Amino acid sequence: MRRQHAVDIFMWVLCGIALALVILPAVDIILDVLIHSAGSWSLGLLTTTTFGEGGGLLNAWTGTLVLMFLLFLLAAPIGVLGGIYLAEYSSLRGARILRFASEMLAGVPSIVVGYVIYLVFVIVFGWSFSVLAGVLALTIMVTPYIMKSTEAALNQVPSNLREGGSALGLSHSLTIRRILLPIALPGILNGLVVAEAIGMGETAPLIYTAGWSNSLPTLQLIHQPIGYLTYAVWTYINQPSAQAHQLAYSAAALLLIFLLLLIGLSRWVGTRASRYTSRFQV
Amino acid sequence: MQNDLTKNRSNGQQPAETFPTAVSPLQAETGPAKEIISRVRTTGLHVGFGPREIIHDISVEFPQNQVTALLGPTGSGKTTLLRTLNRLNEMSSGFWMSGRVDLDGRDIYQDFSDVREVRRAVGMLFQRPNPFPQSIEENVAIGLRAHHIVPAPQIHQEVERQLINVGLWDAVGDKLDESPFGLSGGQQQLLCLARTLAVRPEVILLDEPTSSLDPISTQRVEDLVTRLKEKVTIIMVTHNVQQAARISDYIVFLNEGSLVEANWSREMFINTQNHIVEDFLTGRMG
Ligand SMILES: Nc1ncnc2c1ncn2[C@@H]1O[C@H](COP(=O)(O)OP(=O)(O)OP(=O)(O)O)[C@@H](O)[C@H]1O
Ligand SMILES: [Mg+2]
Repeated sequence: MRRQHAVDIFMWVLCGIALALVILPAVDIILDVLIHSAGSWSLGLLTTTTFGEGGGLLNAWTGTLVLMFLLFLLAAPIGVLGGIYLAEYSSLRGARILRFASEMLAGVPSIVVGYVIYLVFVIVFGWSFSVLAGVLALTIMVTPYIMKSTEAALNQVPSNLREGGSALGLSHSLTIRRILLPIALPGILNGLVVAEAIGMGETAPLIYTAGWSNSLPTLQLIHQPIGYLTYAVWTYINQPSAQAHQLAYSAAALLLIFLLLLIGLSRWVGTRASRYTSRFQV
Repeated sequence: MQNDLTKNRSNGQQPAETFPTAVSPLQAETGPAKEIISRVRTTGLHVGFGPREIIHDISVEFPQNQVTALLGPTGSGKTTLLRTLNRLNEMSSGFWMSGRVDLDGRDIYQDFSDVREVRRAVGMLFQRPNPFPQSIEENVAIGLRAHHIVPAPQIHQEVERQLINVGLWDAVGDKLDESPFGLSGGQQQLLCLARTLAVRPEVILLDEPTSSLDPISTQRVEDLVTRLKEKVTIIMVTHNVQQAARISDYIVFLNEGSLVEANWSREMFINTQNHIVEDFLTGRMG
């Protein structure tokens, strides 16, 4: 009895340490960013563009939003449809090829993805540094992730429900749309949020593809570079001046805020869309 | 429905088939012998998954408009046999079979162009209620639409009719737009029954439909099953011998994947000759 108790306590301590190992660095990063950027908070930061080692971050945060929006438009449909295909049509030959390709891509380092896009689109196709090249690189990075999480979310739907649809004589596609997807939705949304967060946090593949710009994003998809927050963090943190450091920390703080907004948005969409699954239990 | 099927049969390639009728032995205490007019019949059925054969050479008839209880020890293949009757086993990996399963003389594995039509005609209720993640109304409406049971403007009315039919209307009539997962387990099971009945099945398969329900809900499902047999043929797996005694007309007894005995319930309860069946029915084995 007492031995059992000791084992219990030991397990609790281990869990606590594991939890701390995850939470403490996150807290440390957030505090660090907030403390260092606190001094430079001003409206000007959001409303003026960057020049030299100073100015604001208007070009960067709007650029990040544009990149994230376009990434969503491109990666979400491909990833979610691919995930549905992997989960629901896995017996088909195409699914095996798709899975192989997706696993391959997921293992390629982001800098390599950026470099390949650079060679093919920026140089050979002559797009030069551009929004589209950047979005393509990010899409290649995150699509395998979206596919994987969509597939996992669908596979977690209890077979009981899937069979319920079949037993009623519903078609496979109707079963997917009306029975499986509503249940899988929270998992799929979560995957999309993480994918967007990964995309938002990337620097390496964008440097080669999107370049950097001190001016506001334009509607031009090619031949026009674009600014983004991670670039500001990455370059200005290495500059000696205090002003540059402030800019870097402010950009990092903005990234954190965007991340929170992203999570909030997905929660909101999730609760609105899961009207009929709110009390569903596996 | 009957006419439709007769028509289909005479239109088909094969000549209309008439089933030989089994006549059970006359017993003074059990009243006059009944002929079996079967709706569902298996012939030389073998079913397996991968290398393992689960169902061994079962030929059995399920009488029309009666409640048949599928009894047998755990692992005897009741669920496997049941799921072969609506082709649901096709969804399991490694599934294979040989032999025939007929619904009104049509082989459900050969003579139907679309498996969905088989599953409309042979409905199924599961062990645990499995309402769809849609509104309560949509749970019933989805099948009506998918199988074009009634024209679109009449769907709402038909949903109401089906919910009244299973005795759920009073409880859910004012919350048709809500989630079904807020209902009690018994109510969820009745909703699943309404959704199954809505597509006008000729046969309903039930796999221990009351094993997760409280006694009152169980009673309601049993009453419904007894009433429904006027319109549909019912095949029900149960672990509960008392339940089989209460509501079944016919019993099919399996053991280790083989058919042990099939007979009218009263006769089987009174004078089975088989010691496995006898032990099971008297509660010495279960
Ligand atoms: N999809 C499957 N793949 C492999 N083996 C299976 C599958 N389904 C059932 N079996 C096996 O077939 C045998 C019979 O199972 P089945 O579920 O039909 O029994 P049952 O009579 O319904 O039992 P219970 O009373 O416990 O529900 C079991 O040994 C089981 O392991
Ligand atoms: Mg079973």
